[in-house]
Amino acid sequence: MRTPSLLAASMARENLDNLVKTGALKIEAATPEEISALIRSGVNRLADAKNPSLSLESRFDLAYNAAHALSLAALRNLGYRAEKRHLVFQSLRHTLNLPNEKWRVLDHAHRSRNIWEYEGGIDVDEALVEALIRTTEEIAARVERI
Amino acid sequence: MRPNMGTKSSARPPVAPSTISGRQKSALADALFTATQQRVLSLLFGQPDREFFVTEIIALARAGRGAVQRELVKLSQSGHAVVSEIGNRKYYQANRESPLFEEICSIVRKTLGVEESIRNACAPLSGSLSLVLLYGSIVRGTETAASDIDLLLVSDDLTLEAVYSALSPAEKSLGRRINPTLYTSSEFRQRRVSKSGFLTRVLEGAHALIAGSLDGA
Repeated sequence: MRTPSLLAASMARENLDNLVKTGALKIEAATPEEISALIRSGVNRLADAKNPSLSLESRFDLAYNAAHALSLAALRNLGYRAEKRHLVFQSLRHTLNLPNEKWRVLDHAHRSRNIWEYEGGIDVDEALVEALIRTTEEIAARVERI
Repeated sequence: MRPNMGTKSSARPPVAPSTISGRQKSALADALFTATQQRVLSLLFGQPDREFFVTEIIALARAGRGAVQRELVKLSQSGHAVVSEIGNRKYYQANRESPLFEEICSIVRKTLGVEESIRNACAPLSGSLSLVLLYGSIVRGTETAASDIDLLLVSDDLTLEAVYSALSPAEKSLGRRINPTLYTSSEFRQRRVSKSGFLTRVLEGAHALIAGSLDGA
């Protein structure tokens, strides 16, 4: 069925263009090399994030940065750029049609990371790291289809 | 079902699997207040910093004008609510000076507000949850309109995504974001013993038990 996906794609465009109007996103064409470099970086970090011999903190950092690189690849692929990380994550609803509960995991990770940086301490739990890895896998699978 | 005429039933009625600790939705409040009282109290004492116009209360309570006005008169005459007038418009607010102010807020929170909504939202997961704890500004009573609801959950088999999905209707009905932190039982015990910063702060601060127990988690 082509029509529903075309409709979804045009709605995604419309939503992203609205974010350009509010100043959240900027329009900037990307090169295929830039996008494949982001995907490669994301996929590598995601693989490392699953390494059980690393500390939970490191696995969190790797998964978080993998999620960001892959989410940015999806956004750049459509010709947009965002200055702020949370805007890159927020755009996933439109770029990859990511389900809400997965987006909440990224939002949770982003907030936790900010709180830790602000308070100077880090307090990672397994549930968050595992959810972040699953969510990043989902993003990677969707990005590889673009 | 036939009444059993005072004879003791041999089998205990099973606890409904869909409710944590067997409590039905708003049964706690139904035993104490009429439907109109519940709606009026949950507005005034669920958002005690807010002033409500009478017309607003009638609309939000989805109840008859006469019934709502009778409740408002009773609440203001007894000193549980304060009434002010601007022009010919009356507005009502929970009265912080009422000797029962804290208690009514607490009853509303437990039976009609945040605690009840979260208890209901967690009910389908009850088999997997050994602890659900509410903490933060909502429990301290220092929340603002923008405050999130902070929740600590302990489970050995739930994922964070499943928790977000389950809490999503409560977020919509309460109009607040819920921030869950999910621990496995071994993480919880470890952090409780090691006095990890975050968990220690939660347990030393104001918190409300929604389901399960601290020592059973």
